[in-house]
Amino acid sequence: MKLLTCPVNGTRPLSEFVFGGEMRNMPDPAQASDSAWAAYVYNRTGAPGLKKEWWFHSPSGTWFVAERNTLTDQVARTYLYGQEDKA
Amino acid sequence: MSKRLPQRASEWLKRDKPISFYFEGQKYQAYEGDTISSALWAAGETVLGRSFKYHRPRGVLSLANHDVNVMLADGTDTNMRGDVLPVQDGMQLTVVNTDGGVKNDKKRFIDAISSILPVGFYYKAFHTPRSLFPFWENIIRKSAGLGVVNFNYPRDLKRKLHTHCDLLIIGAGPTGLTAALMAAPHGLNIIVVDENAQAGGSLSYDMGGSDESAKRLAELLAELAKYPNVTLRTGGYAAGYYTDHLIPIVETTGITKVRAKAVIVASGAFEQPPVFRNNDLPGVMLATAAQRLLARYATKPCESAVVFAANKQGYRAAMDLLDAGVTVKAIVDLRAEGEPCSLVDAIKSRGVAIYNGACVYEVLPAANKFGVKGAVICSYDEASAKPLLHDRFTIACDGIIMSAGWAPAAALLYQAGTAMRYEKSAEQFVPAKLPAGMFAAGKVNGIFDLAQRLQDGARAASEALAYLGKQVPTVTVDRDYIASPSHPYPMVEHPKGKNFVDFDEDISIKDFVHAAQEGFDNIELMKRFTTVGMGPSQGKHSNMNAIRILARIRQLPVERIGTTTARPFFHPTPIGHLAGRGLHPHRLTTLHGWHEAHGAEFTDVGVWQRPAWYRRAGLEKQQAIYEEALAVRKAAGMIDVGTLGKLEVRGPDAAEFLERFYTGSFKTQKIGRTRYALLLDEAGVMVDDGIACRIAEDYFYITASTTNAAAVYREMQRWLQIWQLDVGLVNVTGAYGGINLAGPAARGILSKLTLRPLDDASLPFGAVCDTEIAGVPARLIRVGFVSDLAFEMHVPAGSTQHVWNALLENGVAEGLRPFGTDTQRLLRLEMGNHLIGQDTDGLTQPFEAGSDGAIQFAKPFFIGQRSLQIIARKPLNKRLVPFTLSEGYQGETINECNLVIGTDGNIKGRVTSIAFSPTVGRFIGFAYVDPANVAEGAAFNIRTDSGSLVMARVAATPFVQLQSEA
Amino acid sequence: MPLRLLKYALSRKHPAPRFFRDCTEPKKSYDAVIIGGGGHGLAAAYYLAKDHGITNVAVLEKGYIGGGNTGRNTTIVRSNYLTPEGVNFYDASVKIYEGLSEELDINLFYSTRGHFTLAHTESALRTMRWRAEVNKHVGVDSYVVGPDEISKACPQLDISCSGKAPIVGALYHGPGSIARHDAVAWGYARGADSMGVEIFQNTEVTGLDIQSGKIKGVHTSRGYIATNKVLSAVAGFTPRITNMAGVDTPIVIHPLQACVSEPMKPWLDTILVSGSLHVYVSQSSRGELVMGSSLDPYEVHSTRSSLDFVEGLTSHMLDMFPFLSNVKIVRQWAGMADMTPDFSPIMGTTPVEGFYLDAGWGTWGFKATPISGKTMAATMANDQAPELIKPFRLSRFEDYDLTGEKGAASVGH
Repeated sequence: MKLLTCPVNGTRPLSEFVFGGEMRNMPDPAQASDSAWAAYVYNRTGAPGLKKEWWFHSPSGTWFVAERNTLTDQVARTYLYGQEDKA
Repeated sequence: MSKRLPQRASEWLKRDKPISFYFEGQKYQAYEGDTISSALWAAGETVLGRSFKYHRPRGVLSLANHDVNVMLADGTDTNMRGDVLPVQDGMQLTVVNTDGGVKNDKKRFIDAISSILPVGFYYKAFHTPRSLFPFWENIIRKSAGLGVVNFNYPRDLKRKLHTHCDLLIIGAGPTGLTAALMAAPHGLNIIVVDENAQAGGSLSYDMGGSDESAKRLAELLAELAKYPNVTLRTGGYAAGYYTDHLIPIVETTGITKVRAKAVIVASGAFEQPPVFRNNDLPGVMLATAAQRLLARYATKPCESAVVFAANKQGYRAAMDLLDAGVTVKAIVDLRAEGEPCSLVDAIKSRGVAIYNGACVYEVLPAANKFGVKGAVICSYDEASAKPLLHDRFTIACDGIIMSAGWAPAAALLYQAGTAMRYEKSAEQFVPAKLPAGMFAAGKVNGIFDLAQRLQDGARAASEALAYLGKQVPTVTVDRDYIASPSHPYPMVEHPKGKNFVDFDEDISIKDFVHAAQEGFDNIELMKRFTTVGMGPSQGKHSNMNAIRILARIRQLPVERIGTTTARPFFHPTPIGHLAGRGLHPHRLTTLHGWHEAHGAEFTDVGVWQRPAWYRRAGLEKQQAIYEEALAVRKAAGMIDVGTLGKLEVRGPDAAEFLERFYTGSFKTQKIGRTRYALLLDEAGVMVDDGIACRIAEDYFYITASTTNAAAVYREMQRWLQIWQLDVGLVNVTGAYGGINLAGPAARGILSKLTLRPLDDASLPFGAVCDTEIAGVPARLIRVGFVSDLAFEMHVPAGSTQHVWNALLENGVAEGLRPFGTDTQRLLRLEMGNHLIGQDTDGLTQPFEAGSDGAIQFAKPFFIGQRSLQIIARKPLNKRLVPFTLSEGYQGETINECNLVIGTDGNIKGRVTSIAFSPTVGRFIGFAYVDPANVAEGAAFNIRTDSGSLVMARVAATPFVQLQSEA
Repeated sequence: MPLRLLKYALSRKHPAPRFFRDCTEPKKSYDAVIIGGGGHGLAAAYYLAKDHGITNVAVLEKGYIGGGNTGRNTTIVRSNYLTPEGVNFYDASVKIYEGLSEELDINLFYSTRGHFTLAHTESALRTMRWRAEVNKHVGVDSYVVGPDEISKACPQLDISCSGKAPIVGALYHGPGSIARHDAVAWGYARGADSMGVEIFQNTEVTGLDIQSGKIKGVHTSRGYIATNKVLSAVAGFTPRITNMAGVDTPIVIHPLQACVSEPMKPWLDTILVSGSLHVYVSQSSRGELVMGSSLDPYEVHSTRSSLDFVEGLTSHMLDMFPFLSNVKIVRQWAGMADMTPDFSPIMGTTPVEGFYLDAGWGTWGFKATPISGKTMAATMANDQAPELIKPFRLSRFEDYDLTGEKGAASVGH
């Protein structure tokens, strides 16, 4: 089983984590056109590469961000949301 | 005729423990330490199996689980691998996949007609006319497969263990043992694993006519035994490589999942059979198999042998044969240059003829093909890979010992993502670029000379130590070959074929030629078309030759052909081992024991087990549910709702947080009041609902459905991070139990247990308060899901049983009964409440469900709002309505998910809930219908299972009269 | 012994001629280029030639034909979907499949064995009935059966599932079949090739030439090819191609794993699926149990295997068939699945003129192979999607008009 490093709890087996999908920036709902909003809701950056993703450490209830290469499945780094600079 | 030798120093047999067993009805003697195949071979038996497709007699090929010639059944188990399975006293063995026994297999006729069953024949026949295919298919299926599964085989609950180590070394041969010895003084936790019953690898059988191997092995093991930090595990194989160095080790007792910081793969190489006519006859075996028989099992492979060699191993085997008293008639060396090593002189001096640039053109079978009668030898032109028949002659012998080369046992390296390259000087694929923390040494790394292998083990250990942060000097290895350990093309063509490449699948050279000619001329297509390497031994003895043949056909270098992908498992691995103990974890409430003791029938709700209803003497399920429901309508009932999600939202921004998270408005919510909380996803789909209790200005207590609680809490946490509001979240689902007490008598019963006034003025519908019930601190909520007079009590989990008991004691006289989730579904339906997950599906939005009222569009933001604005402008496709069937409806049962059919014959929707309400005296339900037809009283048709239409009418809710109106 | 086999064997002509030519040098231009030499791409090529007379077609395959999900799936063919749109579509596929061995003159071992989707809970059984009712409405043979009927069809199945998850019923689907998946690709390849389609293996598309919103050609590892019509039929790799086209889609790639046991004498005659236990299993004509489970839980563009998968699957297999404890798993593997939000495919035209999409096949692509080929060929020929696949158009997401196979929310391979 793959290992993943929670920024709070350290390296743990993948079974303790829940994948939360790609991190996406929500457009301003008031400004976004219908189609831009639908694109935000449904479309994804599907091509492989280094992506920012939401991951959740279930036993401790910790969400964090993982920068992961979806082609190689290698995690470059993990950090708490908003603490990218400190990572 | 016994082939057992007198006791040998190297043998694994326990001569003091003789045992007997049966094979195909005959009794045989053996010793403990024998494998089934070694015992049979020692007893002079040659036909140990039949081939899968042509039912040809088969004997020992590799004696190393690199082939499945010997597949047996013992009455309980099947597909047992005789070559490696220890024989046990009293075993009653038969050969799988024969019709009439291994000697008289009636299906042996297939071998004679094999020419009309060429590669891929089944793609070319049986499909026209279409109507006859099932007939042919039936015949094909009957001939498919190996052993017959025993439907009474017991379910094994195998344990699984986890272990961690600094260094895992796969293979306890000279390379692996040396690596372990190098690494041992550095204090690392080291595991060495080997699939053989004893450590030593080639040192335990490859003697080459000297005692050097045995001495070396004894030294290595003695030295290694000094290190308590090194664990040597034999009798277990590394089954696969998984991400982050996770390697399951499979032993008889179960799987150990090893997580290693570094891995040295010293797994050796599979000896590859040279390919010539009748190379599969019993008595034709690989040199290493012959050596294993001799050294480990003190068994002669044959009495007089022809050694067919193309490398040094053949000569080493010849020495071992001679030392054991086997007559070696000749060594036939495929190479024009012959063997350069010094063994040649030793062998010649013992009177053995050596023919260089020659091949075994064909093996002459003994009667019934049960063995070898002789070998036809002729010259061989290496450049054209053609036998030159002009000088052919026959040598009488009863065994052919063959050695032409190797394939690396690199499966785990491939699985780890190792890039391999073809090392021309060794004629072998070797690692080119290894992933971090993976190291390879020895034969798998293309190094065969013993001294060099020891160096290579030390080299790999030094690299692994450096990787693990130890300061160690670098070790270099001289990779030089006097002659290549593998022949580049050990194939001998024969017009009559039967020169086998894949023994599992009976595939010979011409099959590859034909496949290529038909266009299946890359390795993956060839594998799929010919099925080479797809049998139980997964190409261990066949893939390399297949690649060589394809390279020759396409006139490309071997490296351009590449290899097929090596998938787990290294050896086929039992389902029971992989499954382990078969755990089905679920959660139980603190009342579970009580429910069990009182006849509850449980149902799985998400991870929880909940009572669906309670058995009652003399009552069928439906009747029991009605009685539970009637109790709630006429007196009182209570249900364990401890499984509900219970979430605390605290902080100055608590209300703001809920406003964004749920569709409703919470800023205006008064303390001590509840509000409906509906959660959507960003697409506007209904996800969950619950109630939000405002306990304080900055403190909300939220319930979520049993199934979704964890997901709702998770989403709350995620959005909270994004919004960065001043809110704290706590999931207190397990901390509190919950009891819902409902019905006209509920108030009276509860009032006996609390001082809190419960009248409508003091605790109106939608009110929440913290109080004490039965002396226990409780949160008391006036809810209305199953009845408009209902109280939900949330109490500390450990006190739930106390409160439950107190309610029962005070309520039984009033007619209080416990009810389960099946009854709850009926009750909520009677109340006209839809259920997310039952009355909605994975794409339902609130307009369809009729939940428009729960949406506060005026808020600046909530999850799903923007999508709902778009959806709101679109025509609605369907709408959920409450309905009733006509009074006294006696027709065909209408089931949930029966369809609503419009007058145009099209599907308009479906029934999502339906039940007979004993209180209403009618069938009531929810259904999706044409949105143009939702007025109260509007009729629509439901189609029953049998296809007839039943009229239903849109009804008003609640279906039952409310207590407040009673 | 069938006459054909004897004739074939006795004729001096075998081996048969090449299934398809070994094309290595593409022409400068083609009337249409199909990216992806899997079952779908090859079927589209075949029907372009056969139904529409468009034969100047190149199929570009990065690896070898049928090497993607065509060769990695568990070969189940069925049409018992949830939405009328889905059922109609897959039913059309089943109907072509039934005659495909004859049409392509290759034995696909298309074997109709009956398909049971097991329900272990009342709510699962409700979904089965939903599917059954929609199937019946469309004229597809599906109905709900009780445990007794399941036992009759598969007496070896432990109906109580070791007491862990008793089976309460099932959706039975008579037409449920298995087939020899590789042969589907080979048969279409041969059929297309014989009509003039050129198949290029080991040929990777490196870019798309799009000018003023129209496709003009493709850049490949064998050079530039001009064309006005390009079909992407590369499930598992779709986002890489749509990225080149600048077309956004909801597709995310998740691995789907499978495994196979060693051969044993056939005993499992039906195809069994359990959504709750995440198991689907059938026994091939080689005697191997072919097994799959649910999707991997996170995005990876890789066909690596995981131990968790096979541990979970085997544990549930034993709940259903406790006697398999010592039957051995020979091999596990994985494919990459294009996942969509509503579990329906994405087919048809795109915002780029001449660029067509056959994607989003999730875990159900193999069963759609013939009909997707046929309808995509029609889409390419007419620059307009036929009615049958309009529900699967890419624009349905922007329109919030999803085709909700997800409603069933259970595993259903």
